Amino acid sequence: MAVIDVKDLRKTYRTPFRRKKVEALRGVTFEVERGHIFGFVGPNGAGKTTTIRTLMGLIRPTSGSATILGHAIPSRAARFRVGFLPESPYFYDYLTIGELLDLAGRLFGIGAHEREQRANRLIERVGLAHARSQSLKKFSKGMLQRAGLAQALMNDPELVVLDEPTSGLDPIGRKDVRDLILELKDQGKTVFFSSHILTDIEAIADRVAIVARGQLQAHGTPSELVTRTRLGVDVAIHVAADANVDELTKSASRVRRSGDELALMLPGDADVDAWLARARELGARVIAVEPRHETLEDLFMKKVAPEAKRDAR
Amino acid sequence: MLGRIWAIALNTFREAARIRVLYGIVVLVLGSNLLAIVLGRMSMHEEQRVARDVGLAGIALFGSLTAIFLGVFLLYTEVQRRTIHAIVSKPIERWEFVLGKYLGMAIVLTILVALFALAMIGMLTWQHVGVSGAVVKAVLLAWGEVLTVAAIAIFFSSFSTPFLSGIFALAMWAIGRVTPDIEAAIRTGSSLIRSVARVALEIVPDIHLFSPSGRVVEGTAVSVHADFVSWGYVGLAWVHGLGWIAALLALACLLFHRRDFA
Repeated sequence: MAVIDVKDLRKTYRTPFRRKKVEALRGVTFEVERGHIFGFVGPNGAGKTTTIRTLMGLIRPTSGSATILGHAIPSRAARFRVGFLPESPYFYDYLTIGELLDLAGRLFGIGAHEREQRANRLIERVGLAHARSQSLKKFSKGMLQRAGLAQALMNDPELVVLDEPTSGLDPIGRKDVRDLILELKDQGKTVFFSSHILTDIEAIADRVAIVARGQLQAHGTPSELVTRTRLGVDVAIHVAADANVDELTKSASRVRRSGDELALMLPGDADVDAWLARARELGARVIAVEPRHETLEDLFMKKVAPEAKRDAR
Repeated sequence: MLGRIWAIALNTFREAARIRVLYGIVVLVLGSNLLAIVLGRMSMHEEQRVARDVGLAGIALFGSLTAIFLGVFLLYTEVQRRTIHAIVSKPIERWEFVLGKYLGMAIVLTILVALFALAMIGMLTWQHVGVSGAVVKAVLLAWGEVLTVAAIAIFFSSFSTPFLSGIFALAMWAIGRVTPDIEAAIRTGSSLIRSVARVALEIVPDIHLFSPSGRVVEGTAVSVHADFVSWGYVGLAWVHGLGWIAALLALACLLFHRRDFA
């Protein structure tokens, strides 16, 4: 049984005064299997956060259905077993991290002793032990994101739903979050997270869904989604600063020359051996040769960018 | 269920305890009691009357204004600041959240009313005026008024902005305080005006029940300085208030239940 099962989920808003219809979700359908890390990706306004808020019972769907851990949404029984980090989390800024976790623990009905133990463990885990006595008002965005992750894990959930968990984090913070997500998977938990950062999703997600304009554009494992066709070959060579490299760059794209270093991409069907032989004849020294396959970013740009550009116009 | 409601109440209490305006209101009430001493000295042998009137009016007035001030922001800011997202996504029902918010505010207001009453008792003691049963009843009635006004404010806060909620709550409080006067005034009006006013008065709590001093109750003129209302009256006024509190909170829960937190 799927941990999250979404069928033809639709949400239509009406603007406050003109009562104009806005279709935020237009029939979203997907499933998340137990123990998987599921990446939900899409541009701004695609419907990611609306989908997540609908699943978490913050928004009522106009039509369609969804179940979480076998319970139809909105379900209090399911929420006992789910941890949720909202997008750009806003918490009561007069609380300390300990007080925030205590409040979360009380809402889950966790006993006082257990609450304290879990809170201490989580504060250490998300690296906020040094800020224990500070109110959340004094927290940076990254620290708030960590506090949000801690409160989402307070009930030791089976399913963790994270809306943009790496947003606002520096590279170290992003890596910490990625590691935490992988750790949760190792513990047998299911993680559903949305992100703009495609490399994060590609690095850790078992399955990915791309959403745009309130509809799913693609859905599958990263390897199913991206073609294994070679898009090109990235080559870097050393050449004399005054060498004429016109012949070498004729069929290439993305040519960059910096002093005696030349970087370019050859077409996917190029005869790389012949090209390298000719480069050596011209006195070049090869630094790197790397085939380039389609990435999630390429797929995302192919699926989403044309529509986003059209919308922008 | 009680644990979750208590968790929200405790958090609301923590939040209110950090609002500096509340400390300003406490200082204002203490100041008004000191003013009562000065006014009493200026009056011709009416120190006791002035002391009781100012003290009790301070509790009802400042208590009710504080209830409106706290109440109109209570639910609105939760939605506006999105703090509610991390709360209602946990296993708490929305009605439990509304009740918890009200309970937390009621605790804050009860503490404020107790502080105001202590300040008044201090002033009365300073003036060598004993604390009579009438004063105790009047304080209990003022407390009931404050809690009823808080429910009015939280009801409007469940669907409106603080500014509009404040206006609506103030209007409802003001009308509720003078409903007998309005009834008396419209007796001379046309039948249409009478019908409209009667419906309007039905949807406003009879807050005047909590300030009977100076009115005629069951054919007898009552005053906190002489013959005051019975304990039975105090009980009935509280039952009326609790009925309105329950109805307003039920409506607030219903409205809050239907909302999207986008």
